[in-house]
Amino acid sequence: MAEQDWGSEQYVLEQFSRFYSTGAQHVEAPTEIKQREFGFLSFGGRTMFRHIGFEDTEELRRYLRNYSPAHSYFSGAYYEEPRAPMAEKGWIGADLIFDIDADHFYLPCQKIHDTWTCKTCGEAGKGHPPERCPGCGKATFTEENWLCENCLEAAKYEAQKLLDILIQDFGFQPSELTVNFSGNRGYHVHVRSPLAKGLDQLARREVVDYVLGIGIEAEYQGLTSRQVGGGSMLGRGGWRGRTIRALYDFIGKSTPEEIKALKLGRNTTRDLIEKKDEILSSLMNQHPSRIVRYIDKKSMGKLLDAAVDEQASAIDTVVTTDLRRLIRLPNTLHGKTGWLTQNVPMEDLPDYDPLTMAVAFKEGTEKVYIRRAPEINLQGEVYGPFEEETRELPLAVAMFLLCRKSARVVR
Amino acid sequence: MISEREAAKYPFLNDAVTLVEALGLTLEDLMDPGHAKVLDRAERRVAQAIMKGEASPELGDTITELLSFPVGNMFVTAMGEQFLFRRYALSEAVRAQGLLKDETEERLAKIARLEFGWTLRLVDERLDGRLYRFELLFKDYLRNAAGFREPEWKIVNRLMRGGYVLLTRREVSRLLQEEIQRRIADLVSRRRQISLPGPLGVKVESLQKVFEENRSRLTGRDLPSELVTEAFPPCIRHAFEGLLAGKRLSHMERFGLTSFLINVGMDIDEIVNLFVSVTDFDEQFTRYQIEHIAGLRGSRTKYTPPTCSTFKTHSVCYNPERLCQHIKHPLHYYRIKVRDIQREQGLESGDEAPNTQTTK
Repeated sequence: MAEQDWGSEQYVLEQFSRFYSTGAQHVEAPTEIKQREFGFLSFGGRTMFRHIGFEDTEELRRYLRNYSPAHSYFSGAYYEEPRAPMAEKGWIGADLIFDIDADHFYLPCQKIHDTWTCKTCGEAGKGHPPERCPGCGKATFTEENWLCENCLEAAKYEAQKLLDILIQDFGFQPSELTVNFSGNRGYHVHVRSPLAKGLDQLARREVVDYVLGIGIEAEYQGLTSRQVGGGSMLGRGGWRGRTIRALYDFIGKSTPEEIKALKLGRNTTRDLIEKKDEILSSLMNQHPSRIVRYIDKKSMGKLLDAAVDEQASAIDTVVTTDLRRLIRLPNTLHGKTGWLTQNVPMEDLPDYDPLTMAVAFKEGTEKVYIRRAPEINLQGEVYGPFEEETRELPLAVAMFLLCRKSARVVR
Repeated sequence: MISEREAAKYPFLNDAVTLVEALGLTLEDLMDPGHAKVLDRAERRVAQAIMKGEASPELGDTITELLSFPVGNMFVTAMGEQFLFRRYALSEAVRAQGLLKDETEERLAKIARLEFGWTLRLVDERLDGRLYRFELLFKDYLRNAAGFREPEWKIVNRLMRGGYVLLTRREVSRLLQEEIQRRIADLVSRRRQISLPGPLGVKVESLQKVFEENRSRLTGRDLPSELVTEAFPPCIRHAFEGLLAGKRLSHMERFGLTSFLINVGMDIDEIVNLFVSVTDFDEQFTRYQIEHIAGLRGSRTKYTPPTCSTFKTHSVCYNPERLCQHIKHPLHYYRIKVRDIQREQGLESGDEAPNTQTTK
């Protein structure tokens, strides 16, 4: 069978088309639809249809029914003329958008379901590809990345940390925030607020640095060697409290072995082990500058980095700083999974399970030949792993494997 | 209504502008010998901008101080030098900042709110032994502080809660300086270039001369024409070596590397060959992209590489060295390093032309 049959594109297109014949009715237009640019990727085609504008929701739905695109996007930006070429659109402002994608994380489960192969020498391994191929020293790899409930949980956790920062620190109202499951490996958070709309690129970069904790320095978190007055910062808002809480948790839960593993200064390591209670009580009751005498400057930097990593939210840096980004439209299908990009009300997020909720093709079965796929948990059932086999599977599973181009329909 | 003294201190305020307009002075009036003091002071303001980058206030004669500001603006507009627009605006803004920092909290707040639309609240809070008297909405804060390099200005190093950033009096006046600078830069660059008659034109000519004499000192030295790869900053070196090994660079790495190579004078063909030889990029497409960055296509803007802080955000910054702490731009690193290398080689080989290595 020829290579291009993997994914049975014509079949998938028909399924998408069948879905949109009724599903398009559930697609809601983003706010200010007339000022938004839309973009679509069709099956087979490689080019993006951009610079598309709609007058109202009905026109957008009609487009989806007519074309059944593999991927559907809209702009976070607002334009005078969304249909004009980029330079003539007339940028008015943009929502503040965050993209959280488990692809960018380092997770233990990736060692199970992700693989890389060196394009030059064929050396292969599990997880993320290395900086350089251990076999030949080159750095060109093909990657096969899958996903599982662990990745999705990790992404959700990052989204929750982000929401906390946006509400507590930036003061956005919960009603100004929307959370969408991306339809694949992560979540998108949109902020629609007059305060966010006009932020320029430089300002958005500062927001990114804030969310990621980039550039945090001990001295400006109260961890200064100057003797200053003031009480504990443990309950403070912003990074102030967050860094001190992070340090408190980190020092509190670390075993002597874990502290030694950080390779801090010798005196610092000793104090962190022997005077742990003293240090924790200082953080609890006094100004953070009181613990500086136990920890040398370099060690403080290392400790802070480790602690901050746990508190920061792992957002994608490019998406947020791009003033003209296109982002997935909720309630449309993701062409690489066959799942829905789905709005998740903030209060439902803790219990939200995309592997049941975002499944679009809920009924029926299909017979497919699968070349290779790891185990996948969908709608509460575990399927696979598969290796060169023909199976009759629930449509949701078959569509997922087809969209991943790991299977083809057997007729 | 604003007092004459207040207007002289802050002549860019809307009230001060109204006050000047009410006097109804014409160009002819200004050429009258009775106004010679105003012209002299205006000339001094511009000269101070060129020479020191900071005008000093002269509040002994308030009406002259006030009137010389719009005249100084006119001189700068007439000179038509983009670089001077920025420098003059900075010079005037620094002058104003020096006066602002002695104002009361209430006065600062009034200027910030009424003139620049800040959402600012007065507070009274002590933190780390410092007294904070203001909190400012983050969007107003970022509009002014996002370009600052010092770590204490990053919001991640500030106390922010509910969208408000705590600030001291001195910090508020520093941020106001940014607003003022933007307003003045806008004032002098907004109008089309004008030519001024009589004694006014004479002043412009003499300022033109002062500017020419200082141009090279102010606008910086040119880079060497030959590529000095050993002077590449670590981030660029890392991306460059990654590319040679066939690594898939991120968009930011590719853009940073390409614009850096263009700016240090690498030949377009060489850059195209470099990318095509180590990646599977299509040559025509690659050339188009590179020529776009070089300003030969599209918007005709020649792009400079992103700043160090942008590289940090997008994790392109790699193994920063000691020199990296003192610079904010990869090209700045290169310029300093090239100078150091040339100096070293100059010592080794006497006064011969520096023998810099080029990539081939």
